[in-house]
Amino acid sequence: MAVHDDSNGQKKKSSDALDEIPTFNVENMQNNTRIINYSRTFMSIIGGVIAGILGYTALTGFIFYFVIMAITTVGLAAKTGFAVHSFFDSWNQIVFDGILGGLLSFVLFWTFAYDMVHIF
Amino acid sequence: MAEDLVLDTAIRDWVLIPLSVVMVLIGVLRYFVSKLMRSDQVPDVKIVKEGQLITRARNLRAAANFIPAKSFRARKHYYSNEENGLLHVPKGQAQNPQAQMFSDPNMAMDMMKKNLSMIIPQTLTFAWVNFFFSGFVAAKIPFPLTQRFRAMLQNGIDLSTVDVSYVSSRSWYFLNLFGLRGLFSLILGEDNATDDTQRMMQMGGFGFDPTRSLGAEKDNLDIVQHDWALPKFEQRAESVLKKLVQQ
Repeated sequence: MAVHDDSNGQKKKSSDALDEIPTFNVENMQNNTRIINYSRTFMSIIGGVIAGILGYTALTGFIFYFVIMAITTVGLAAKTGFAVHSFFDSWNQIVFDGILGGLLSFVLFWTFAYDMVHIF
Repeated sequence: MAEDLVLDTAIRDWVLIPLSVVMVLIGVLRYFVSKLMRSDQVPDVKIVKEGQLITRARNLRAAANFIPAKSFRARKHYYSNEENGLLHVPKGQAQNPQAQMFSDPNMAMDMMKKNLSMIIPQTLTFAWVNFFFSGFVAAKIPFPLTQRFRAMLQNGIDLSTVDVSYVSSRSWYFLNLFGLRGLFSLILGEDNATDDTQRMMQMGGFGFDPTRSLGAEKDNLDIVQHDWALPKFEQRAESVLKKLVQQ
């Protein structure tokens, strides 16, 4: 994933000092969410091109999309060092955010690459 | 799928690829044109002041538990007392945002520019696509669809026998129009001007009333339950530092 900017994009949770008081920086959190969206868009475009070139059709392609998204999720989680809660509110955010938004891009690039390689 | 159509490779070279490339380039062009046309109007001092004030009040609300009760009360009083609190809006002074909008021609002008920069390129591109590329079967989506999608995907060719997954050139234009948004957000940055849906939303929420948001912020501040989070932070800091020293 090339779109990570980790230098200032970390929501630091003061973990042990202030027990049970959620302290977070709103800007950093928005930045993190934005990074998720970027990664998802990027991966959906790349995944679309790959699916098209490999010639996946119908259900296979959509399954491929969700596999790609799962890989993205794992990648993002790895980027946080599997300490998701110090960067995001919940797992939901890292698992589900932006999946539907990327679908349209995926379909477009899938169609495009598929047509380039297989139809003509 | 009844039988496969054989599409001429010339269609790929002269319709599909040019159309897609042009869509991307027009998106980029639109971004820069709207950036050029964006006028840097000097914002009204009063509005900026109110915006900053709301931000300050919100910060106080967010960080309320990190200051002692006394400090919090003092700040709250500063913002929301009934005589001269900053967030307190005297009755009758609230102005009608609609009237304010009409009294400021710049605002309307700006809106119009934005709208034009959105509508004109789209109309032009659509006309261009219609003129050059009408009637081609340009692409085929790699998954089957039901008959309902025929109107959406085969706009411009009236053949009811063609399988629905074949896409006409005009419909490919529409697919590009919506599907490239993700790409634009990657190459142009998040707040690119091509995001039409977001602009619609902004237009909807145009009648924004600063005085009302002041009042809302005041109410929010009034109901904050203050609960000091750091009653023993000095001892805690001491123990942490001791631990550090011991290591």
